[in-house]
Amino acid sequence: MAKKPKVAFFDFASCEGDQLQIANLEERLLDILEHLDVVSFREVSSRRGEDYDIAFVEGSITRLQDEDRLRGIRAQAKILVALGACACIGGINCLKNFLAENVYREEVYGQYARWYGTYAARPLSAVVKVDAEIHGCPIDPNDFARQVKELLLGKAPSNPDYPVCVDCKKAGNICRYDLGRPCLGIITRAGCGAVCVTQGAHCWGCRGLSPHANLDAARLVMDRAGFGRKEAQNLLRFFLGHTAATL
Amino acid sequence: MPFKKDFSPYVPRPATLKEKKKLSELVTLFTFELDNGKALAHRPGQFIQLSIFGVGEAPFSVSSPPDPSKQTFELAVRKIGAVTQSLHAMAPGQKVAIRGPYGTSFPVLDFVGKDTLFVAGGLGYIPLRSLLHYQLRHRSEFGRIIVLVGCRNPQERIFTDQIEELTARKDVEVLETVDIPDAAWKGNVGVITTLFPKIPIDPTNTSVAMVGPPIMYRFVLAECRKLGINPNNIFVSLERKMKCGVGKCGHCMINDLNTCMDGPVFRYTDIEAYQEAI
Amino acid sequence: MDAYIVHLERLPALFNAWAKDSALSVPSATPEGFYEFIPWNGEAEIAWDYDLIYNPPKRFVMPAKETLISFDLKDLQAKPVFEAPAQIVFGMHPYDVKAISQLDQLMELGIPDQNYLKRREATVIMALTPQSVAETAFWASVGAEEVQHGFDLYWTKIGPASFLVEVGSKKGEELLHAAAPPTRATVSEKEAARRAKIKVNQFARRKQLLYNWEETPRLLAKNWDSPLWRKNSETCLACGSCNLVCPTCYCFDLVDEVDDKLETGTRSRSWDGCMLTSFALVAGDHNFRPKALDRYRHRYFRKGKYIYDKIGELGCVGCGRCVRACTANIANPLAVFNALWEESTHAF
Repeated sequence: MAKKPKVAFFDFASCEGDQLQIANLEERLLDILEHLDVVSFREVSSRRGEDYDIAFVEGSITRLQDEDRLRGIRAQAKILVALGACACIGGINCLKNFLAENVYREEVYGQYARWYGTYAARPLSAVVKVDAEIHGCPIDPNDFARQVKELLLGKAPSNPDYPVCVDCKKAGNICRYDLGRPCLGIITRAGCGAVCVTQGAHCWGCRGLSPHANLDAARLVMDRAGFGRKEAQNLLRFFLGHTAATL
Repeated sequence: MPFKKDFSPYVPRPATLKEKKKLSELVTLFTFELDNGKALAHRPGQFIQLSIFGVGEAPFSVSSPPDPSKQTFELAVRKIGAVTQSLHAMAPGQKVAIRGPYGTSFPVLDFVGKDTLFVAGGLGYIPLRSLLHYQLRHRSEFGRIIVLVGCRNPQERIFTDQIEELTARKDVEVLETVDIPDAAWKGNVGVITTLFPKIPIDPTNTSVAMVGPPIMYRFVLAECRKLGINPNNIFVSLERKMKCGVGKCGHCMINDLNTCMDGPVFRYTDIEAYQEAI
Repeated sequence: MDAYIVHLERLPALFNAWAKDSALSVPSATPEGFYEFIPWNGEAEIAWDYDLIYNPPKRFVMPAKETLISFDLKDLQAKPVFEAPAQIVFGMHPYDVKAISQLDQLMELGIPDQNYLKRREATVIMALTPQSVAETAFWASVGAEEVQHGFDLYWTKIGPASFLVEVGSKKGEELLHAAAPPTRATVSEKEAARRAKIKVNQFARRKQLLYNWEETPRLLAKNWDSPLWRKNSETCLACGSCNLVCPTCYCFDLVDEVDDKLETGTRSRSWDGCMLTSFALVAGDHNFRPKALDRYRHRYFRKGKYIYDKIGELGCVGCGRCVRACTANIANPLAVFNALWEESTHAF
């Protein structure tokens, strides 16, 4: 790109943790921003602009009025990048999708529930075309840097299409199943470097289903490893509420 | 050992884009010159690895014939992946990096004195063009030159000017077909095998060079068999995911063959028994 | 072959001497109860009787990610990058040594891969006769129970505190003399080592192929269409775990990375696996091994036939890592080969 592309950041239902992760790049962010013209980024600047080429959008869509706003962003942006699990796959916001609408409305808004419109949470891609996805909850700042650089070099940003097991084996971790613990790494899209397992936890599935995930096999594996349907389902619902994994 | 200890097969050398010519909506012909001033020194059917640093590396067949008098070489590239997208966005004067040439080539001597049947499906014309133009330059060494060209539709035809020139020549027989015609198409309609009955072929004295989409080979080979062409005289070039180009990375394997080293050009009888080949 | 006797109490001095110039790794128990090679820190407790090192030792000669070239985005100049730190891996079981010898051959074959070969040259391998056998291992039935080459020293415990050390290279012998000179082994000590090897190999044979391992290529050749490939691969997660933990798998991907200023960058290779769905995918979305069946079969043919056809040994050394790593329970070369054997008629 000859001219510096103008970029803007937006958020919907989310914690803004992904934008914070970008701010966490600190010195590196300065180098990367050399190639960009940031017209709107609440986490690092007070500037607000409405003219942009690349839109980074965080959060999931949970209300009808979100859809119009998102379509507006889509119409303006040449490239729309979903930022984080909520935007890419619906994320933990989708937990409410397993409750009746009146139940989650009242849970949040109490007696004022009927004043607020809110529906089943969904990823951006359920409403508009998404050009690139930076996965994770939260995103890995290095992954953000990588994808932005790819955009700048004119390459369509890409994500691994294999499960976290690949990253995990490269990291040299002990498999959670060898420790008798459940793990969604077997069906979750890699690219995180298996950071959760490396840190002693297990994979929660925050990067969404690996495109070729074998869900039947995964259910069998979890079942054989002694994790009942309930336990497996709870784990799958945590991030993968908007996928076939929970069916 | 002929290799120096600090030799790395993974290091490409810079080359400059000299010319760009659009061949179809998605396919463009790129002319490159190595910055070291040397010729590429490839043989017909070989491929190179082209790098756009930061974007990646991808294999491409060389489309121009070997020509000691020229320092340039040509690649015809369809805009389809990351590297090709970037390549299409480049302007003459810009640089890429090249490794190779790699792999086997069409054994030119096997074609000398015989008729040659070229079977080019879709982008298969690109690597075959190297052998075809080599033969045209040494026309008297070869018998009949029969060129069958098939495309999905008229819009996807490539090298149309050159094919027209060939058609006009007395010493080359060209037949074209498309799978799906448009209103303006007056030529043959149907898959490439529908061209076979339209031209007399002497099975005892014909060598075949075929390149096309994976689905094509089985059907064209069946036609060759029907004609009674000796399978020893059939040469195919196979596409696979050549990544390292030097027989290490494992991506391009056809059973236990490394397409990057043992191929991409194979004598049909050498791969007939390989389940993953055709 | 020259052999020496080294007593346990002399080891710390030797290790400390070696660790001065090289990164020394030794087998040690992990908190979870598995075993890994860990850097020698002067006092690490060595797991003499480990059954299996959890992760394959290939990372010493071919790290999970390794830079091959560096490049300049402006002038398109590229330079090779070679990294070859001096390192010593102490206590490698013979099947793992054999796996590395196999990589040596394959990376040298044809166009030599200097990134690998330089790293290998800077690596000293000290083999160790196993004292335990992993539940999933079957190395004694695939000709990987002992090695004749590929090591610099070969250690065998012959008494409560004494080792017979066979010399595999000049470098190895020099290292053995890094502290006080060792004593030469007597004939009876050599015999004791031989017996120790026989003993563990016999125990390891409790898990066995039903046939001589050299028949594997022929067995596979006639079982291309076996229903086993489809049946087993139905539950394949396409996670690549079997590839990645395999000590002889070396397939790799090439990836570019550029600096934040977009001025320079590197191209690295990282471990890849033929079980991953897109392994044979080309531009234009044509996948040459589209089905799990295709990929699963390819892996077993690679291990049992293709490698053999190239260098005359199986691509499987029987370590059993894939058996454990496959959560779907389908990666078990011993079970696969035996099932094929039982299903086949043996008219060859």
